[in-house]
Amino acid sequence: MWEVLQHAGWVTTLATSRGLYGLVSVVHYSTVFFGVGTIVLLDLRILGVADRDQHLSLLAEQLRPWTWMGFASAVFSGFLLFATEAGDFAAATPFRVKMLIIVLAVISALCIEWSVPKWDRAPVMPVTARLVALISIMLWLGAILVSVEIPALTGLG
Amino acid sequence: MYDVVLACCRWLENTPWGATVRGSSWMYPIALWLHFVGLSMWLGTSLAVDLRLMGVGARRQTAAELSNGFFACNWIGFGVAFLGGFLLLSAEATTYVANTGFRLKLAVLTPLAMIWHLVVQRKIRLWTQTEQTSAIGKWAGLIELSLWISVVTASVGFLLTNAVIHA
Repeated sequence: MWEVLQHAGWVTTLATSRGLYGLVSVVHYSTVFFGVGTIVLLDLRILGVADRDQHLSLLAEQLRPWTWMGFASAVFSGFLLFATEAGDFAAATPFRVKMLIIVLAVISALCIEWSVPKWDRAPVMPVTARLVALISIMLWLGAILVSVEIPALTGLG
Repeated sequence: MYDVVLACCRWLENTPWGATVRGSSWMYPIALWLHFVGLSMWLGTSLAVDLRLMGVGARRQTAAELSNGFFACNWIGFGVAFLGGFLLLSAEATTYVANTGFRLKLAVLTPLAMIWHLVVQRKIRLWTQTEQTSAIGKWAGLIELSLWISVVTASVGFLLTNAVIHA
């Protein structure tokens, strides 16, 4: 199935055009940095390290549209980059690990989004909140680590 | 002039850290990881302020409030990105400076974007004194956003044309 995608006409065009491939890469890098940055910022606020003067729910409300727009663009551009070597990526263990980590990280981000109003009303930040925020940071650090290891380990990308 | 730059690059490559990153199979990805982790914090916080200045995704906080709240994360992110980038450069400095994309990134676009970032951080209070961001503020945000995207573009151009392959 992934081999079929890899050999589709539009994918070959993307893979062989340095300009197009470069453009998609620029979108992917920019939106990943932006999306991860804004998620981690909220995590750091929950941990009490960043932007402590700001109400948690206000900050969450401010970051929400940016985070998810960034994330959606990162997934879309990432899928296009994946398509150019789909068969090889899908078979590579580090790439599968990356996808797993990202799914877990997104689940933690959604948990945080849902719980923010509750946590903001608590007199002190609940331990659960701090724990989830810490896990979220670790997962994103892991996602970036496995991303830089994919070319190093498999020669892909 | 270029001789001096090349001499500095040779010196960097021969430093203990330059030789270590180049000679090890795992140090290079770790330096790249540091660079990317720092960039996530740096660009996450910087671009958020730029978008807020432009009025994209505006909520109840002003751009100045965001810039103020993100200040520490912003500069810690820069420090980490700089450290990672410095290690990467030290490993392959002479190869890197031969690349047009890299020269453009390091000598022109990054300094420009940095200077503009400092201007924005200093003047942002002035631009957001009223409920509405001033027209200058909106343009300033758009310019900083464009400058950082041009830095990413030059970096990607460099990555796609770089002769060094790390496997």
